Amino acid sequence: MRRTLRTTRRLLLAGIAAFAVTACTAAPPVPTAADAGTPVSGGKLTWAVETEPITFNPHQYAQAKARLLVWNSFEALLTHDDEGGFLPWLATGYEAAADGLSYTVKLRTDVTFHDGEKFDAAAVKANFDQLLAPNYAPAVAAVQLKNLKSVEVVDPATVRINLTAPDVLILDFLASPQGAQISPKSLRQAANLKAGGVDVVGTGPFTLSAYSPGQQVVYKKNPAYRWAPANAGHTGPAYLDEVVYRFLKEPSVRVGALTSGQVQLIEGVPATDQELIDTSPQLALHKQLNSGSAYSYFLNVSHAPFDDPKVRQAFRHAIDVDAVLRAVYRGTATRAWSIVGPTSPLYDKGFEGRHGFDAAKANQLLDEAGWATRDGEGFRTKDGKRLTVRLVQSAPFVRDRRDVLAQAVQATVKAGAGIDLNVSVVDQGTALKALEDNQYEVFDNSRADTDAGAALNLLLASTGAINRTGYRDPALDALLAKGQATGDQAARVQVYHDIQRVVLTDQALVVPLYAPADQIAASRGLGGVRFEPTAGVPAGAYNIWIAK
Amino acid sequence: MTVVRAVARRLATAAVVLWAAATAAYLALLLAPGDTVDSIIGDGPDTPQIRAQVIAEWGLDRPDVVQYLDYLARAARGDLGRSYLLQRPVSDLIGEHLPATVTLAAAAAVTGVVLALAVALLTAGRRPLLRRAASTTELVLVSTPGFLIGIVLLNVFSFRLGWFPVSGGQDFSALVLPALTLALPVAGVLTQVLRDGLERALDEPFVVTARSRGIRERAVLARHALRHALLPAITLVGWLSGILLGGAVITEQVFGRPGLGQVTLQAVTAKDMPVVLAVVLLSAAVYVAVSTLADLAYLLVDPRLRRS
Repeated sequence: MRRTLRTTRRLLLAGIAAFAVTACTAAPPVPTAADAGTPVSGGKLTWAVETEPITFNPHQYAQAKARLLVWNSFEALLTHDDEGGFLPWLATGYEAAADGLSYTVKLRTDVTFHDGEKFDAAAVKANFDQLLAPNYAPAVAAVQLKNLKSVEVVDPATVRINLTAPDVLILDFLASPQGAQISPKSLRQAANLKAGGVDVVGTGPFTLSAYSPGQQVVYKKNPAYRWAPANAGHTGPAYLDEVVYRFLKEPSVRVGALTSGQVQLIEGVPATDQELIDTSPQLALHKQLNSGSAYSYFLNVSHAPFDDPKVRQAFRHAIDVDAVLRAVYRGTATRAWSIVGPTSPLYDKGFEGRHGFDAAKANQLLDEAGWATRDGEGFRTKDGKRLTVRLVQSAPFVRDRRDVLAQAVQATVKAGAGIDLNVSVVDQGTALKALEDNQYEVFDNSRADTDAGAALNLLLASTGAINRTGYRDPALDALLAKGQATGDQAARVQVYHDIQRVVLTDQALVVPLYAPADQIAASRGLGGVRFEPTAGVPAGAYNIWIAK
Repeated sequence: MTVVRAVARRLATAAVVLWAAATAAYLALLLAPGDTVDSIIGDGPDTPQIRAQVIAEWGLDRPDVVQYLDYLARAARGDLGRSYLLQRPVSDLIGEHLPATVTLAAAAAVTGVVLALAVALLTAGRRPLLRRAASTTELVLVSTPGFLIGIVLLNVFSFRLGWFPVSGGQDFSALVLPALTLALPVAGVLTQVLRDGLERALDEPFVVTARSRGIRERAVLARHALRHALLPAITLVGWLSGILLGGAVITEQVFGRPGLGQVTLQAVTAKDMPVVLAVVLLSAAVYVAVSTLADLAYLLVDPRLRRS
């Protein structure tokens, strides 16, 4: 009898492992759960995170690193699958009108907010109304909802979203933290609505139970929860009774807290510690590339020297990206070949291996462009002026050791082609002033938008809010608009391939460097640790269990 | 009567110091590059429409002088405004974090002073080898960045030995390592000053008199020399409160502790003006209070001052 049980269990484990492997091929986010066995309910998890959110109100969400907290207590109408599509969540389905100007969304009728309020069409409308209210969420109103005309309550379980122009990104919005549903009662009564907190509630598998600023935030299981989306890993309430997220900003302290067993899970594992964790028998390391745009250098074409496409091409050929990444990240970084992140459905694999390091070509292009002479320090000059380009980094926003990366790039372009990359890390005000005064030639950025198209709108459109290349081209604008309006996925992908060609091959506006990633290190006694599909950031705690 | 006048003068001075601190901080933030709208927008999308809303929400279209006077008027009524970044009343924010910092600073101050007294009394004027070893350790501690002290203490006593947690419940065990991190450099400086004072006092003629009366050496040190040595040390308490607040920034960051240090760091990097100003006002108030206490302590320690 005993023996049979054990065999059955082993078979079950093998089955889970096999499932995990097959799941991995389709969806890398699910790591093997073999060590933790079958899911069990109960227990308290302590999770050390890097970033303390500046707000707990999902409408105000602006930090990709805080996304892993949002879906514990809040939910959206739709959620991303891992192939660029959407699954129903608080909605049961949606239908786009043939002209793309309206979306009819059917809602679940069995959902209640943590404060007992019923989730229905009126609640959805209240959330939209709040987002458009003056002084509430100007960035959402101006970017994600710029094409929103009106929201109608058709019946208690149906809303219709009317647009002023076809916009497929509205679906991305409905699956985004900013599109998460807050209880109408919270919207009316919360003491500090924009800051969020225990009195701003949603419908999620956990309730935010206590927030100690600077220290931790505690979530407790919502026992009434039974509306998880199809790809959440299981149905019904969460396994854990309680999750404590502790804010530990120092990477080495997070790793120490994990290895000494003070926490069971950490996110944000520095490159220097990844091998230590990988080889530890008690710990498991999981990595996943993020969605959105790759970390890239954007070249400012509005003045010399990058107004000359040859100099832009030369700069790109002068950077030995592989060597630089190896030196700075010890082989843990994934090289980017396009402005679009490699996990996006819009990514064009055709750019892999193209526009890479080629010092000879860089030098030839610079000779042709007239930067043929050298000064005493070996930098190229033209008419007595040194070939200097400036990169200004804002210290509060430097992450992933991007300041060190810039120094490595500085060395490689000097050695390879005699280009003087001048890197300064300054306070935010000074950085913004440099951008405003157009006193920069290189701008660095990555965006974590779930739909890379949203990132490109901001970065590339003539009027884009983060267009720092100064490149303004009606043809490119038309392509971006077409990408945003095209519902057919294959046609849309083709549009973005064209955009990548313009940006990378035709104009050489961008130097892609690496694909941002998230890392989780966890005790092997934990099961169900996963990344959020599409976004590629650590998922919430819904599916995690602690092996007994 | 003279007491009343003295107190009134103190209070008036304090008000002027607070006003000057607030004004200086206001001017510094105003002159720093980048305008307030930019700092509120951060690295997010930036369009004219968004800017207009931000300006309207915070009343940033008013002239700087008007904003400044408005701020002063509200601050005088005790209204410190709302944080640009965290969207919450600044007084709530300070109130939440102040107890943690006060606890940490008090624990560190007591530990630092006790350590300094003990080491100085044990090593002053005696045992050259011990004295030299202590002096070297003090110099090392004073010149080591607090960040490093914290990481080393954590590595040994938390990660390896598991004696203390890295952070967590605000119980006593979570306070030990941060307090020690902050206390060690303080103890280093204080010990040097105290020992120097003790040794100088020991050379004074009154010590010879005391010894000739047959008082034991320990009593000579503790009862007579220490009083003299304390005067320069008391002068340092102003410096001490500054060091404790500044050191709290690093200590709180390393140990993941709540507190004003973290609030200040975040507010300064984000140019969150209302929070920065509140922290400046608070620090100025603490300085005023501490230096008043120090003046009173002089009277207590040195009878010569009481006569005048």
